[in-house]
This record gives sequence, structure tokens and C-alpha cells, in this order.
Amino acid sequence: MVLPLVFMVTGSLRPPGQPPSRTPELLPQNATVASYDLAFETVDLARQIVNSLIVAGIAVPLTVIVASSAGFAMTRLSRRVATLLQAASLLALMVPATALLVGRFTIFRTLHLTNTFVPLVAPALIAMSPFYVLLYYWSFRRLPGELFDAARLEGMGLTGMWFRVAMPLVRPITVAVAVLAFVLTWNDFLDPLIYLSDADRFTLPLGLRLLAQLDRSNQPVFLAGAVVATLPVVGAFLYVQRFFLGESRGAGWLGR
Amino acid sequence: MHRRSKLVVALVVACALALFASCGTATTTPGGASAEAGASIDLLVFGSPEEIKAYRSLIGSYEDHNPGSPVRLVEASDRADLLTRLGTGFSGGAPPDLFLISYRLFGQFASRGALEPLGPRLHSSKVLEESDFFPIALDAFRRDGELVCMPQNVSSLVVYYNKDLFAEAGVELPSEDWTWDEMVTKAKRLTKDTDGDGKTDQFGLGVEPSVVRVAPFVWSNGGELVDDPTRPTRFTLDAPPSSAALQDFTDLYFVDKVIPDETSFESEDNETRFTNGRAAMVMQSRRSTSLFRSINAFDWDVAALPLMKKPAGVLHSDAYCLAKSSRNHDAAWRFLEFALGPQGATIVARSGRTVPSLISIASSDAFLDPNAKPANSRVFLDTIPTIRALPAVSTWPEIEDAADVEIEVALWRTPMTGTQLGKRLDDTSRPLFERARR
Repeated sequence: MVLPLVFMVTGSLRPPGQPPSRTPELLPQNATVASYDLAFETVDLARQIVNSLIVAGIAVPLTVIVASSAGFAMTRLSRRVATLLQAASLLALMVPATALLVGRFTIFRTLHLTNTFVPLVAPALIAMSPFYVLLYYWSFRRLPGELFDAARLEGMGLTGMWFRVAMPLVRPITVAVAVLAFVLTWNDFLDPLIYLSDADRFTLPLGLRLLAQLDRSNQPVFLAGAVVATLPVVGAFLYVQRFFLGESRGAGWLGR
Repeated sequence: MHRRSKLVVALVVACALALFASCGTATTTPGGASAEAGASIDLLVFGSPEEIKAYRSLIGSYEDHNPGSPVRLVEASDRADLLTRLGTGFSGGAPPDLFLISYRLFGQFASRGALEPLGPRLHSSKVLEESDFFPIALDAFRRDGELVCMPQNVSSLVVYYNKDLFAEAGVELPSEDWTWDEMVTKAKRLTKDTDGDGKTDQFGLGVEPSVVRVAPFVWSNGGELVDDPTRPTRFTLDAPPSSAALQDFTDLYFVDKVIPDETSFESEDNETRFTNGRAAMVMQSRRSTSLFRSINAFDWDVAALPLMKKPAGVLHSDAYCLAKSSRNHDAAWRFLEFALGPQGATIVARSGRTVPSLISIASSDAFLDPNAKPANSRVFLDTIPTIRALPAVSTWPEIEDAADVEIEVALWRTPMTGTQLGKRLDDTSRPLFERARR
């Protein structure tokens, strides 16, 4: 996993405007960051980063809230209904996104919401993917029922049980869903391509795609854009790793 | 307590929707822009950032000359993105007013009646005349005799060659009327193992296995690509002289050994190999010029395609098409008159990547810039009278995809005769031609 990232970074340090290298270089001659300046000049990367952050900033928390509350609600249903819902979710997972493309486009066009961020954020209103709801449902189901009985005796309502009792106990799942939702939103190319027309509303993947069209002599400029686009994802991955490592270390070594 | 939590969730959702809905209400929607008479028109184009920049300055210049007639540029990066946007736009009832598309792809939209024919507007125009444009480009965008889209550029294949490698090997530069056999002979002398390790390091030629690259040689050899150029029902490449041209083409690897093998090609494409000075000649269109202008290590120029029997070339051309469902036909045409006229054509020609469809600008310094390479830029214009268009039926993009795979197999993997390849091309593509006729 590391090697492509290394070549991406070293490739971005090659001076732009030269014939492309035949083989990847570990440290290019005359290494320079000129490609980064050019990448930001050629397309409005700064604006696109802000746009991508806005979309992810809304979509990710919304996904976590919707997925976790839906998953929690499923644990309150009878086993039969919950099983039916699970089957329905799995069925929904099998529908290819492209099959709904034109239908979704027509709906948003009728609502005059194309060329806005709404179509990009809207999937979060249904938890982005049924998989995230199921993930929460399976995690909540493993929590001991006595906890909720005690909470009920204390006079706690369903929302309180979801938010104050259940959620803190499944924090690693929340982190996993948040990261998966972030990566999905951050990398989403098709929705912005179809729904956004104004260049100043473009998100990062559209900008990267434009940079990819540069002549091969300017490949370092494209790679510089790729580094900029990848940094948040790598950052999120590294940040999140400590949650999982912490969990497994605790479980294994401290015998928790 | 739980009431408050519910309220928070509801507020988050409401805020998100309100925030982004308000982002959109200030401006128009794609294609939906045309819902208001006199509102802005959308122009969908694809291209590299340099090309997009040229379109931005074209629009800027138009808006300066025509205040109150805004044009919005909708940018797609490549052909696939353009088709995704167009496909969803047309299916969802909101296509862009204008879009730029190759004649090889426009058939699928024209055959469904989704485009407004521009011929009548050209006839009544006081700014543009039919005779201002290269006839071959106009003809490529006709449907049943009627001009549907307005061509913006016109180009053909040429051979880019590395002058330094020719001089080093003592090989004479390509002449104006050089032949296929001369090209192969030169390519053989320029194919070398420079470090003596038994592997070829420098190739005489680079060419992609595709219908677009094969077609000009089929025509040059006196053959035909299809049975009827206007209503084709099948490829006719399995009989001489077409099959002989196919044979010569596939011999480049198995017999002449002047082009790289498949693995080498995948790891380093022809353009890159040429810029690195390891391919003496490559067959490319005008698009490669801007990349090759970054070469400082050696001198290069262009030559016309070599002849088999008579001069022939293959057309590359994109045109502006107007969506029938657009409600801004007049505003869109006004923009086209500017974009295709001398001012607009000059702005786009300066990007250097295309040959303008407007004859007067193509033969001006805007295109034939004496200070920029290639020195022999005139070749792009001189070959225009002999270029021919591919049969752009509605399923042509699929036909090309299927045929390219067959040519790739014949060039690199399985040696076969020209007749065998011609037969395979016919078998693979016949159902696709049939679908186009339905």
C-alpha cells in the first residue's frame, strides 16, 4: 500500500514540463514543489477542497446519526420484522447505483436542486448505504439487554438509550462508519459529475480528473493534485487506526 | 431529554437542506437554464485544462461583445465524462443547450432526433457561409443530407518524426509523397538495440492498433472499409485490396519488427516513447503537437501519411451541436456565429491542439505560427482534400471498441492473414451494424 503512495509523492516532485520518466524514481533530479503551485493555478483546487469538505462535513455526521438511529430502532422491533428489514437491506445493497442514476437525476431536476450540493448530501439522509445501518444493528444487538432495562427503570426514553447508553458502547463502529462514509463522499466522482455544472461548485475528484487530462509532460502536476486529494484520506486512516489498535491492544494484553 | 435530541437531529437535517437549496436557487440549473427565455445558455465541452482555458477566454470575449448574453461553460474532462453528462442530461430531460462532440459519437444523438439541425440557420446567417468551412468537416455532420451540427475543428493523422535519430542513422527524411514500403524500410533502419543486450531499445515506428489508424491505409490501397459509406451494413475488409492493407499493418510487428510489443506499449505509450527519443516515428493526430512542443532534447517535424497506392487520410472532427429541447436556440446560434467566426476560431486555434474548421483561420498565422513547431504544419492542411470520414452510424462507438480489440489481437497476439482479420472484424461487428439500421 505504501509504495504507490511513495511514487505518487516523489512523482509530484519532478519538475513539470519535462518529458515523462520511463520508470518511477525514488528521488527525482532537481526535485521541486513547482507542480503544487501549478496544480492550484491550473484548476481551482483550493475552492474544490473547501467544497469537498463542506459536502463531507454535512454528509458524514448525518450518515452516522441516521445509520445508528435506524440500527437502534431495528433492535426495538420484533425479531421477525427486524429479519424482514435485514433482508430488504441486503436486497437494496444489490441494486447497482447506476440503475438509479437517471431516476435520481430527474427527481432532483424536478425539485430544481441540480447544481447544488443537495444531491451529493442527500444519500446521507438514508444512511448512504444499508450496510451501515446493518453494521449498527448487529453491534447494538450484541449489547446486554439488562443495560437497557436498567436505563428504562431510570426513566430514560428511547432517544436517551440510543444516544447516551448504546452509542458510547459502539464507538469503534461509529468511527468505522464515519471513515467509510468520509472516504465514499470524498472520492465520489459520479454524483458531482452529473449534478454540478458550475466550475466553482466542483468537488476535488472533478478537479483531479481535469488535471489528469494534462499532457504527460505535466504528469507531476496531476500527481501533486493527487497528493493533495489523498492527504485527508490518509490522515483519517492514521487517526482512526489508534481507535482500533487501542481496542485490540486493550483486549489482548490487559485482558479486558 | 429525548425530545431535545430529536429536535437537534431535525434541525441538522433542515439546516443542511436549507443551506444547500439556497446555494442553488441563486442560479439556474443545468439545461434547466433554458427554461427562461433570454437566460444564459450552457455549453458542454471536454478537454485538457489548456483547452478549457481557451473556451473560457472564448466565452469571455463573446460576453464582452454581447453584454447581457451570458454563456455558462460546463466542463467535462474527457470523452467518457462528456458522454455520461450528456446521457444523463438527455434521459433526465435537461441536456445542455450546446455541446461539442466528435462526428464518431454524434450519431447516437442525431438518430434519436435529439438535435436541432443547424443547416437552415447557416443558410440564413449573415455572419457565416457554408463555403467558409472545410467541406469534409461539414459533410461528416450531415444526416440525410441535412447539416445537423457545426464543425469546430478538422484534422487528420500525420507521422511525427525525430529528425536527430534520422540524421544519426543516416536515413533520409520522409518526402512529401513517400510510400508505405519506404516507411517500413526507414523504420527497420531506425529500430535498434542500442546497448547490445539483445533487446530492442529504439523503435522505428509507433502506431496504435485501432480502426482509426488502419482506415487510411485501407483507403490508400484502393479498398473500402464498409459496403456503403452512407448506410453501411458490414465491414468489407476480408477481400483485397482492403485485406492486403490489413496484412501490411499487422506485419509491422510479426514480420517487420519495427514497433514495440504489447507489454512495452502498455508500459510506455507511443507519445511518451517519442518524447523520450526512443521512437523515431509515431502516427498521431494534431493533439500530440502541444506535448511534443515540450521536447528540447531533439528536433522533430511532421510528414503526411505514407501512400500505399493513393493519398488518403482519416477525419478527426468535433462540432457544436444544439439540443432540440433547448429553449434558447436563437441565443445559442448567436454564440455559435461568434465562436466559429474569425474571432472565436482564432482564440481556440491559439491553444495549438486543433486545426480550425474555418478555412481563413486555418491558413492564417493563428494556426500556422511560424515560430512554433512543427515547421511543416502545412501538412495538416495539405492532407485535408484527401481525408475521408468514418461511417458514423449510431452504434459506431461500439463498433470501434469491438474492432479495436480484434486488431490488437491480430497485431500482437495471434499472427493471422489480412483476410482472416477482415473476416473476424466482419463477424464481430455485423450485429452492431444491424442494430444501427433498426
